[in-house]
Amino acid sequence: MYTANREYIRRFGPARLVEHWLNAGTFILLVITGLAQKFHEYDISQWVIMTFGGIDTTRLVHRYSGIALTILTAQHILVASFGILFRKWQPSMVIHMKDFRDAIDNLRYYLGLSDQPARCDRFDYKQKFEYWGVVVGGILMAVTGLALWFPTVVTRLLPGQFIPAAKALHTNEALLAFLVIVTWHIYNAIFSPEVLPLDTVIFTGKISRERMIHEHPLEYERLYGVTLPRHPEGHEDPTEVSSAQRHSTTPTP
Amino acid sequence: MTARKSYLGVFVVLVILLSSSFSGAKLTEADQTCLGCHEMEQTMKFGNGETLSLKVNPQEVEKSVHRIIGCSACHGFTADNHPQRSYKSRKEFSSLSARKCTQCHDAKESNIHEKLINESATKTACTDCHGAHAVKRVRELSKGNQYCLTCHNKELDVHYKDGYKEKTMVNEAVLNNSVHKNLSCVDCHVRVSSEDHPIREFQNKRDFSMVMAENCRRCHFDKYSRTLEGIHFKLLTQGNAKAPICSDCHGTHAIASARKDKLANAQKCEQCHKDIYAIYAKSVHGAALINENIEDVPICSDCHKAHDNAGPHTANFRISVPQTCASCHAKKEIMQKYGLSTKVIDTYLQDFHGVTMKFYKQYGQTEKQIAVCIDCHGVHDIVRVKNQGAAVVKQHLLKRCQKCHADATANFPDSWVSHYEPDFKKASLVFLIDLGYKIFIPFMIIGLLLQIVLHLWRYAVNR
Repeated sequence: MYTANREYIRRFGPARLVEHWLNAGTFILLVITGLAQKFHEYDISQWVIMTFGGIDTTRLVHRYSGIALTILTAQHILVASFGILFRKWQPSMVIHMKDFRDAIDNLRYYLGLSDQPARCDRFDYKQKFEYWGVVVGGILMAVTGLALWFPTVVTRLLPGQFIPAAKALHTNEALLAFLVIVTWHIYNAIFSPEVLPLDTVIFTGKISRERMIHEHPLEYERLYGVTLPRHPEGHEDPTEVSSAQRHSTTPTP
Repeated sequence: MTARKSYLGVFVVLVILLSSSFSGAKLTEADQTCLGCHEMEQTMKFGNGETLSLKVNPQEVEKSVHRIIGCSACHGFTADNHPQRSYKSRKEFSSLSARKCTQCHDAKESNIHEKLINESATKTACTDCHGAHAVKRVRELSKGNQYCLTCHNKELDVHYKDGYKEKTMVNEAVLNNSVHKNLSCVDCHVRVSSEDHPIREFQNKRDFSMVMAENCRRCHFDKYSRTLEGIHFKLLTQGNAKAPICSDCHGTHAIASARKDKLANAQKCEQCHKDIYAIYAKSVHGAALINENIEDVPICSDCHKAHDNAGPHTANFRISVPQTCASCHAKKEIMQKYGLSTKVIDTYLQDFHGVTMKFYKQYGQTEKQIAVCIDCHGVHDIVRVKNQGAAVVKQHLLKRCQKCHADATANFPDSWVSHYEPDFKKASLVFLIDLGYKIFIPFMIIGLLLQIVLHLWRYAVNR
């Protein structure tokens, strides 16, 4: 149950926070041990592999971190599926046509072609893009990773070329995921002027009312049963929401 | 005392030589009498049917050091007292006649002479080496190697303690063809000189060869020190006298450059490693060398090294195999002659096995096993991978994969896309995936970065 005090609104329960950090931890381990293998000619890679105790240990760490991420991904899919199935979760990550429109609207707004940024719900299109990247990418990495781990099993049924193909998928997808995280995710979580120096939601699970209204106006309106006034410049001004309205409803997620 | 004696000797000889040269080397009257008959052609017959010409060339005698002592000094009789004698053979005659030499020349002065006279008095006569009427001091007879050859171009025997004997004859032509033609005998036969020829006794010929081979390091110390790391030296130190020493591969008097003739070089190894040589001879490398005389191919020593051959069963040897093969297969100038790709090394090094090998090597984990070139291509039986050879390689490949991947099945070897960069024809699936990402990754990342820039820009404008 979400609690809204004067300044902050609960956005994530502790389970989701733990899940994020477990994901982040295994992802970092996988990136370090994986990229060191992919770019093995570089001194830094050789230092990493040496620090882990040789190529075999590095691979072992990579494989077990892979198992960890696979389990995390699988449990998330299961928990989310059952959550939605038994109506405990909102299917708020489902991609709608509105997300594509929001992306275009935001681009137009950035370029100065429109006065209003896109008005997003609980998860905006950027977050959905990252979420599905993690889920789909995670499945892809798990499948191809297992194929590379057990090539003799795979080639019992499938042509031999599937192994180098799995390697091509695994290594390229890994690079893509790594680059998206270090550019897009790190920007949005740390360097974006809206959150600088750090987006603390993923530590505390709570978001400030200002940011909530600014970034998730539709969710805010739905939660509190209010209609936010549109600022001509595109900024929704949280001060315009009356204190009475703030406490009038107890929202459910 | 001895020094004074020898000075006196030298003085006497000088006086004699000088006086005789002034006297015009005239023979004495008694000698002239002998020559009266012995200048004419006449022969002597021996018991075994051999004959000997009794004609003496007076000019030879006049030039010899013995011109002043006269015929009777050696022959023991004069024209007035000339007994008729008969000998069984020419050898008997010469050895008996040569006994006279010891009346003046003490054989005990030099070990080798005493030994020769005692051991085989009827076989080796002084005159065999020194000449008879034309007798000269050995030093005058020869220069350089010729000095030793004075005796060693004769059929002399050397005996070993184990009863084996062999000729000590050395063929001058062989010496002159060797790479050591500018050296003298004593450069290798170190304890021998024109003054001193000690008698050395060896248990057998091998012992002698091993002692002689010690002398090679006097010049070739670099090679010697490398042999200390080699498997052959190790075997020697373990008491295996069959393990090769310098001369087993390089030869002795006929020593030739090992680089000159690759086939001959390989055949040196064949002397002991016959089975392996037979396999090698059928391989793509061996056949090219033996049948087509192509010298670009590796011979034994190119892979195993010559002097510091540590043996193929060491972990270090195994893990260095890709480097060994690369020393030719990564060289464009050699490979393009035969239409071979130089990418074979790089494609290996970029793949799972190659990367693993590199790290094992780098961190000294050489005891760990990972597939190197020879595990798929074979060792001495390497075959061509083109044309009909491809089928042979493929046929062996699954079995070779199974050495490490025990549960590999028929499809498994195809998971190695050979030594090719994936292209549309050879590995279309891999190629298309790579191509897709090559386009998609920059598209995605540039797109996201642009959004970030736009977002920052909008933020700045709004402020």
